[in-house]
Amino acid sequence: MKRFILGAASALVLGASGALAQDYPTKEIQGIIQWGAGGSTDTVMRSVTPHAEEILGGTVVLQNMTGAVGAIALNHVADSAADGYTLLMGAENPLLYKVMGLGERDYSAFTPVSILARGTPILVANTEAPFDDYAGMMDYIAENPGEVRFGATGPGGLPSVITGMIESVEGGLDVISVPYDGDGPALTALQGGAIDVMPAVLGASIEGIRAGNMKPLAVFDTQANDKLPDVPAVTSFNEDYNTYLPWGPFFGVFVPEGTPEDVVEKLSNAYNEAAQNPEFTELMDSRGYSIMAISGDEAEQFLTDWQQGTTWLLQDAGLTKNSPEDFGIARPGE
Amino acid sequence: MDTLMAILTVFTQPQLLLLVGLGTFLGVYIGAIPGLSVTMAVSILISFTFSWDVYPAISLMVGIYMGGVYGGSRTAILLNIPGAPSAIATAMDGYPMAQRGEAGEAIGVTTVMSFFGGLVGVAVLALAAPFVAEFALTFQPRDYMLLAVLGILLVGSLSSGSLVKGIFAGAFGIAIGAVGRDPLTFAERFTFDLQIMEGGISFIAVMIGMFGISEALLQLHHVGTDAIRQQIDRIVPSWGTVRKYLPLSLQTSSIGVIIGALPGTGGDIAALMAYDHAKRVTKKPTRPFGTGAMEGLVAPETANNAAVGGAFVPMMTLGIPGDAVTAIIIGALFIHGLNPGPMLMVDQPDMFWFIVGALLTANMFILICGLTGIKLFTKIVEMPRSVLIPLIMLLSVVGAYAVNNSVTDVYWMLGFGVFGYFMRHYGYPLGPVILGVILSRLLDDNWRRAIISEREDLGRFFEGIFTSPLSLVLFVAVVLIFVSQTPLWRMIFRRKGGQTGESGK
Repeated sequence: MKRFILGAASALVLGASGALAQDYPTKEIQGIIQWGAGGSTDTVMRSVTPHAEEILGGTVVLQNMTGAVGAIALNHVADSAADGYTLLMGAENPLLYKVMGLGERDYSAFTPVSILARGTPILVANTEAPFDDYAGMMDYIAENPGEVRFGATGPGGLPSVITGMIESVEGGLDVISVPYDGDGPALTALQGGAIDVMPAVLGASIEGIRAGNMKPLAVFDTQANDKLPDVPAVTSFNEDYNTYLPWGPFFGVFVPEGTPEDVVEKLSNAYNEAAQNPEFTELMDSRGYSIMAISGDEAEQFLTDWQQGTTWLLQDAGLTKNSPEDFGIARPGE
Repeated sequence: MDTLMAILTVFTQPQLLLLVGLGTFLGVYIGAIPGLSVTMAVSILISFTFSWDVYPAISLMVGIYMGGVYGGSRTAILLNIPGAPSAIATAMDGYPMAQRGEAGEAIGVTTVMSFFGGLVGVAVLALAAPFVAEFALTFQPRDYMLLAVLGILLVGSLSSGSLVKGIFAGAFGIAIGAVGRDPLTFAERFTFDLQIMEGGISFIAVMIGMFGISEALLQLHHVGTDAIRQQIDRIVPSWGTVRKYLPLSLQTSSIGVIIGALPGTGGDIAALMAYDHAKRVTKKPTRPFGTGAMEGLVAPETANNAAVGGAFVPMMTLGIPGDAVTAIIIGALFIHGLNPGPMLMVDQPDMFWFIVGALLTANMFILICGLTGIKLFTKIVEMPRSVLIPLIMLLSVVGAYAVNNSVTDVYWMLGFGVFGYFMRHYGYPLGPVILGVILSRLLDDNWRRAIISEREDLGRFFEGIFTSPLSLVLFVAVVLIFVSQTPLWRMIFRRKGGQTGESGK
């Protein structure tokens, strides 16, 4: 209680004196993680934050706030004071909330502090699947329509975007889509043979591939990945994928819109520098994530492009609830 | 030889030994307070131990995990409030024992049996991890669904008194578990377009309310009466007692290991299934179940601690978490620069054996932490009710808030507390409600996965059940248990009616 009063008092003082940025941070910063403990967002945020704390010279208390596909955490941070003491540590999903009918708000109500890193999608299959690469899979699906089981993680999840991409490039994909809670449980099911193919982020499947517990079909990128040089890029099977790729999920730190610029700058510097820390880059590299560490206009542009490309892709695949047009999200290139 | 050295790492380094001990000690208390969960404690530890070496960090986490699973039984026995979901079954016979003044004995048996269960879990992890992991992977969605149906049938053994009321309570629990955005399609269910309903109802809030608040309200009827004096001369159970329960505890430990090793099911379901198993196989319990039967304590406590070792099985061999806590430990290993996954055992076998050693050590500390300080703990029940009741209320509020840092959860908790009070007043058992909430998603999600996988064709679905030996065994078990609870069965076998001991309340 005492701490609460102190906190409230210092917040008042700060508010009255117009937030002295050179002093920032004067108290604990709350970092709200959109996803559960042990997930990839959680792991990334917990490994980058200690480096950022060092640079900031303050403490960031990390907290998982799950529920409603991350919307609960997003709304919580959006509603808190724009003073730089509440951070949202999220992934790409909020950019799809509007078109998926999951909420009224997305990152447009926030200022990006830093887009830390980006993941690469990969298509993996059960070791006993009767095909060994992307082309073989497409042939098999053509011969056995409605038989191959694809793992999914709900509308707006990475698998839904990838299958949407395949559908629009190949002109259809007649498979069974079996929903799971996340890529972890789905990849487990893949190894147990409950599903045949899973579009996943490379980082989540790389250890399974190395151990030979699942086989890679194609990397969803314009070129092969350094971590798995033998796995062909999907563009080598069909050049039309170049329209959509490179595409991938990302991790970022955000503050509510209206946070004083100097505070944002201080946070951005801390997180961008932390993302370059060799310990962190090595960690991310071993899992096949590419470090981005961008902020400011560059980050805003990245978010806009990402949202345009992905929402329209989903719209064209018939997976959305609302048209991107309703929210003023322009078609890419328009 | 290297293996032995790796197992003994913990013992040879006083610092690690101390950390495991400290972790276990903290875990017992975190586990004992409803709402302070092991999952939460371990995830906070990730940031806290970020700059440490990997061994000390893991030592602390393993200690907290093991201690926490055991600690949940404390408040279950003393106050009828399970400190953790895996202690729900423990309350059913543990609390009646405390009411008879046998809290000391109950805690003693629980401690020794938790130790035993934990040992079985670690042994399986050390000796058979690859096989068990492979077996766990063969579970298909339809098998998980059958497992959930098997779980639902426990309603029969969890409802003392009226079975109809028990079934109602179970169905109510399943409905609670379905509230919120469906995680598979994100469609809203039972939300009435209210934003607070979107995230669903926190299972922990329901549990704390139903057990904690309703218990406090019920106790209000007896504010004036004196607390029961506890005898604490018999704490450590005699060798004879331990030997008597050895066969049962071996069976329930096996249940614990398997359920724990399955990704998607954990100690809570394991403990309830073990309780049910004990009820089925025990011909002559020390007292009727539900009134303080020793078997009713032994079964869930061995099972939930055995489930800890089980949960590490798929984690260490495949990089697949067996439950929420192991999921976080995987994250911790990753942050510390290891690559948790199927190659971990090949690349870094030391890590595997180190964890086995740490679990073993934590298990021993349970014995130490558990058998000391019982005197102090039993004082809790001897407190005047006018002190105890507000204390329970306070703990319940703190616990419900702490789970998600959400005030909404506190309201849910209070609401379910009042509701639970009336349910108990009218003889509706609470156990089945919690069972329903736990199993709701397991049943729902896996049924849908199973039927979607078969192109929504029931014929193909049953073909799948009858062609897979595992599914067939589970299916036959479901049918047998179901039939055995109907009059038909009794007519055929003319057995005397099952255990339907009236509980005192």
